[in-house]
Amino acid sequence: MKDPKELKPDTLSLHAGQRPDPATGARATPIYQTSSFVFDSSEIAAGIFNVERTGHVYSRITNPTNSVLEERISALEGGIGAIATSSGQAAMHLAISTILDSGSHIIASNCLYGGSHNLLEYTFPRFGIETSFIDFRDTNLLKQSFKENTRLVFGETLGNPGLDVMDIETVSNISHENGVPLLVDSTFTTPHLMRPFDLGADLIFHSATKFLSGHGVVIGGLLVDSGNFDWETSGKFPQLTEPYSGFHNMIFTQEFGPAAFISRARKEGARDFGACMSPHTAFLVLQGIETLGLRMDRHVATTLQIVEYLNNHDLVEKVVYPTLTTHPDHKLASKLLPKGCGAVFTFELKGGREAGKAFIENLSIFSHLANVGDAKSLVIHPASTTHHRMDAASLEKAGISEGTIRLSVGLEDPEDLINDLDLGFRAAKKTL
Amino acid sequence: MKNIYSFSGPEGLKDMKHPIVFIHGTGMDHTVWTLPIRYFLRKDRNVLGIDLPGHGRSKGKLLETIPEMAKWLIRYLDDLKINEFSVVGHSMGSLIALETAALAKKRAVNLVMVGTAFPMAVSDVLLNYAKSNKPEAIDILTYMGYSNQARLGRNTNPGMWMTGSTKKLLEKSNKGVIYQDLKACAEYDSGLKSAAQVSATTLLILGKKDFLTPPFKAKDLIKSFKDPVVKEIKDSGHTLMAESPNKVLDYLIEIL
Repeated sequence: MKDPKELKPDTLSLHAGQRPDPATGARATPIYQTSSFVFDSSEIAAGIFNVERTGHVYSRITNPTNSVLEERISALEGGIGAIATSSGQAAMHLAISTILDSGSHIIASNCLYGGSHNLLEYTFPRFGIETSFIDFRDTNLLKQSFKENTRLVFGETLGNPGLDVMDIETVSNISHENGVPLLVDSTFTTPHLMRPFDLGADLIFHSATKFLSGHGVVIGGLLVDSGNFDWETSGKFPQLTEPYSGFHNMIFTQEFGPAAFISRARKEGARDFGACMSPHTAFLVLQGIETLGLRMDRHVATTLQIVEYLNNHDLVEKVVYPTLTTHPDHKLASKLLPKGCGAVFTFELKGGREAGKAFIENLSIFSHLANVGDAKSLVIHPASTTHHRMDAASLEKAGISEGTIRLSVGLEDPEDLINDLDLGFRAAKKTL
Repeated sequence: MKNIYSFSGPEGLKDMKHPIVFIHGTGMDHTVWTLPIRYFLRKDRNVLGIDLPGHGRSKGKLLETIPEMAKWLIRYLDDLKINEFSVVGHSMGSLIALETAALAKKRAVNLVMVGTAFPMAVSDVLLNYAKSNKPEAIDILTYMGYSNQARLGRNTNPGMWMTGSTKKLLEKSNKGVIYQDLKACAEYDSGLKSAAQVSATTLLILGKKDFLTPPFKAKDLIKSFKDPVVKEIKDSGHTLMAESPNKVLDYLIEIL
């Protein structure tokens, strides 16, 4: 009998979901840049539409290039299936719209990416979905926040901007005790640093724009299903356990078992909302994932050097990174993120807004822009950009200060990056 | 029969005339047959996707031997007042289908055995892992259940990770189910005798790259049937309905 040797992540990063193209022998994943697919016959077409045959119909719903990416992220995360979307925001929207209706309630972490916060705080209420934002460290508050209509708990593996480490095991246990799944944004950690399904999360989404791609040339998202959540036992999700008139009265749990969620997400969400990923984008994300492990290790190693440099700098008030003992989640990070805490973090520069502006404007390798997770190092000063309308008090409420600088550490030589930061500090010093 | 779940489509059986009965393998449930079930429902056929006792949504005590399972299935069909039927089974389900077709030879019109062999030997290592409900049993079944190539994916069912899906279904089975099923497969010893008694039109669908039930281990079984049709899918391992769903369906359509 063969010894079951599961393929390791670095192998899956290169191979999962793809074999040499049967039509041409192409070793790389071909870009199937086509809107639609020819049917062999009317009968075959009817079979694919009726979900009795496998195949592709229309690239809004499935596409062979995207499928490779979907399988690859499923394999890396330990899931059963995935859907590639036009952005991380689209993946989050797809997750929520698949299982929540008007009148539903979400419990979300209060340290979210701004885009996610906007969707939950301002947009979904227009559609009758309300969200309570709470500190997930307060487990009693989490337990008390469940309402009759709560249908989802949502947070990030590493919160924004303080890199709060979510105790996924604890949060998922509380969610499951209340018959509700846990959705996790795993963008900052990627499956190389953490696999949230192993800790109890039920659904994961990524902004594939960031570390998964690593090259900063595409916008994309991925929604992954663990297949773990028991929708029938929960009894709170008629979308999956009762006949769906939009698809021949299909009951997704009856016909697809553990794949009920991802099946409905594709058959309804991908079909009706249409936020699909372009096959060309899927190809580019795949190119990034091929080197995910190598890149993430380098990102983390360089980040640790820069964190140390900043932590010892006279012009730095504080550095917020979970490997530091001063971080409130240091102990939890050591347990959940033994390979590192990613490459995005903030530090507080002495001297406020003017120092911050001077610092940023005098960097040349770090690019001043609103993104993270690129191979190139990135920097932003929230007080003069994304949060420029806020006064000091409002900034504090958002967990940042006038001197907060966010770095996304890239793959350049660490010494060059530190020299670049040095130039910024010299300029900042002149403003004091 | 109380507490037994079978899937016959959103509207249920339209009548009791000649259903196609689908039987799953070790630790699985009827959802492994969803695609072909949907085809035959579209063609207005009666279909029963059975969850065996103690499997999937069915309650009840696990059945211990393949003949017991076959007798139980016949009783289930009797209760539904079903006379003629066709029976399709995968892996352990194929042995149940065989035994059912032999025991109810006048009623079984077609017999389809997918991913099958006789004897269906099970290693002691696997049995011991299963007996102790260790995750290694699921790892081995998942690993051996696919061809080497399929472990890399490229599912024809877009976006689904095949081995992940199989593993998840096995993980959802109740404790003791996998062991009992494997033991039943290993102990089943009347396959050749039963095959000789079958009068149903018989089809065997085998995966050339099957590690659990390699085609050469079905040779004696094939010889024991009167006039079987044998289809071998060259790119497939044991989990044929996932690895080659369209080919499996095409072969089912030919006979059913």
